[in-house]
Amino acid sequence: MSTVTAITPDAINAARPPLLQRASANRWRRPRQGVAVAAAGLAVVLPAITGRYVVTLAATAIILALLAMSTQLLAVAALPSFGQTAFLAVGAYTAAHLADAGLTDGLLQLSGATLAAALAGAAVAPVVLRTRGTTFLMVTIMIQGLAAAVALHWTSVTGGDEGVDTPPVTLWPGHPLTEAAYQYWYALAVLAACGAGIGWLMRSRLVLVLRGHAGHEPRMAALGHHPTIGLGLGYTAAAAIAGAGGALLIVVNQHAGPADLGFGTAAAGFAAAALGTCLTGTPTMTGALTAAIAIIALRDATGSNGTGPLYLGLLCLTVPYLRPTVLRLHRHWARRSEPTA
Amino acid sequence: MVSDLVPWAVTALGGVAYGLLLFVVADGLALIVGVMNVMNLAHGASYLAGAYLACWLADGTLTGLAVAVLAGIAAAAIAGAGLSVLLKPLAGHTEQAAVTLGIGFIASWAFTRLTGGNTLSPPRPAILDGHLSFAGHGYPVYDLTFIVLAIPLAAGMYLIVRRSMAGIRLRAAVDDPLMAAAQGLSVARIRTIALATGTMLAVTAGVLGAPVIGPGPGVDSHVLTLSLIVVILGGAGTNIRALLTSALLVGMVENIGVATVPALASFSLFLIVIAVLVVRGHRQAVSAA
Repeated sequence: MSTVTAITPDAINAARPPLLQRASANRWRRPRQGVAVAAAGLAVVLPAITGRYVVTLAATAIILALLAMSTQLLAVAALPSFGQTAFLAVGAYTAAHLADAGLTDGLLQLSGATLAAALAGAAVAPVVLRTRGTTFLMVTIMIQGLAAAVALHWTSVTGGDEGVDTPPVTLWPGHPLTEAAYQYWYALAVLAACGAGIGWLMRSRLVLVLRGHAGHEPRMAALGHHPTIGLGLGYTAAAAIAGAGGALLIVVNQHAGPADLGFGTAAAGFAAAALGTCLTGTPTMTGALTAAIAIIALRDATGSNGTGPLYLGLLCLTVPYLRPTVLRLHRHWARRSEPTA
Repeated sequence: MVSDLVPWAVTALGGVAYGLLLFVVADGLALIVGVMNVMNLAHGASYLAGAYLACWLADGTLTGLAVAVLAGIAAAAIAGAGLSVLLKPLAGHTEQAAVTLGIGFIASWAFTRLTGGNTLSPPRPAILDGHLSFAGHGYPVYDLTFIVLAIPLAAGMYLIVRRSMAGIRLRAAVDDPLMAAAQGLSVARIRTIALATGTMLAVTAGVLGAPVIGPGPGVDSHVLTLSLIVVILGGAGTNIRALLTSALLVGMVENIGVATVPALASFSLFLIVIAVLVVRGHRQAVSAA
């Protein structure tokens, strides 16, 4: 049985029916589509117009984007999660062990990592989903901590502090992905495939159920929806997405270790999802993707001289206030432009 | 026979000191989570700020330590009130958590800039810088003093929360903010006070506990995780007794666990939390039935 909680502002945001936003969304649809096509085109040609460093950062941004999307899927159900890194770790170590066993095929590793993470998610879900709201957030921090401790101390499986080095991933026998550009294009293709899958998921009945639980769980229960099953499926799907990110970590770094899977990574993933929600007003995948790219650009590219955490902190301190400020100004202008009687 | 038990008794005493330190930090977090319903991800940074303050202001005298404590309390009160102002316009837990995370990032950057990313060791007051011998096993006088100080602090907090008018108001704001507001209580003011008090407790713990958990990179997330474990086990809000019990349990597991089963010690706390969640879930299921 799950706990029954009061309706929170997060839940209202997550469950807000899209009908209310449709009119304003339609107005911006065409410019938004144009921006999306331009961004996709830029992403594809990036290795041709920039150097190896930027390409590697872009590949890292893709991994963070998958982590953020995984977190965001749970945010749709008003479940703020800090612990999706645990499933990123499951995916990464699964892919690393497959590579160690000589199975270097990228798609095989991706499938194995996704499946292992989904199984781990399904195993953890019944325990984690006994809580909601802030307590859920605290418990997922525990899950992250447990995963970090396992990564550090279960040396026979994880290699401990040193981690596990892996051979390069291959897409077909005899052709390892050693060039940063090819690794990036592979990661981009995986992101596109995951994005298509997530897009389908966001229109599916499962996400409607998640939104329903976010909006009014007792009513959903009264309608016959079992919270642990509905939310558990969502949690498992979110874990699978993070697991795919773990497989990409092996592609890009050829290494899995506690340093890539610790509190810092979890914080960046949580921040990307949270800032994505702040940008758009509701938990959207586009918001999470945009925020993940912004975080890597600010933290790793601009802040490579050690000022990364400062920029990331300023981003976290600025973005949550943007939307309320814009809405307040919009209301103010609307009031001023109303004809006086 | 008795001499065999002494090392365990000394380790257990270390567990009590560690647990009491965690109690002070976690009590602040429980207050913030309970009253504000905000997950303050910068709480570990507050502890770290206090610990660094001890390194910079404490000069090996009791006066220096007292100055560090007072400076920490003053800075924490301002910072807590400032954070309350920052969080006020934000409605969702996610946005609020993002802001506290941002503060944590900035604090982490500032500490690294100021200390060069090194782990510092604050000077203990000369009068407390020694070891007491128990059957040939030494125990730091400072840690013993911390235990002696923390016990009345815990008792005082219990009495304030349970017996004083301020505590009654605080509990009212935790249990039912709408009803408290309807009774004429300023919930906004209570929230600001709770946030400032919670931050003060974390910073004070940092100043006094710096010799126990020394300041360095990553200490903020470590302390945050440990205090979260205490809050999850003891519950958010104003249940001082449950928090104290949980903190002592965590302290014991961290100390005796490391001494007896070092391989399991790092997992055991997380496993305890998960077990508690399972048991609580069953209890809720039974009560609902």
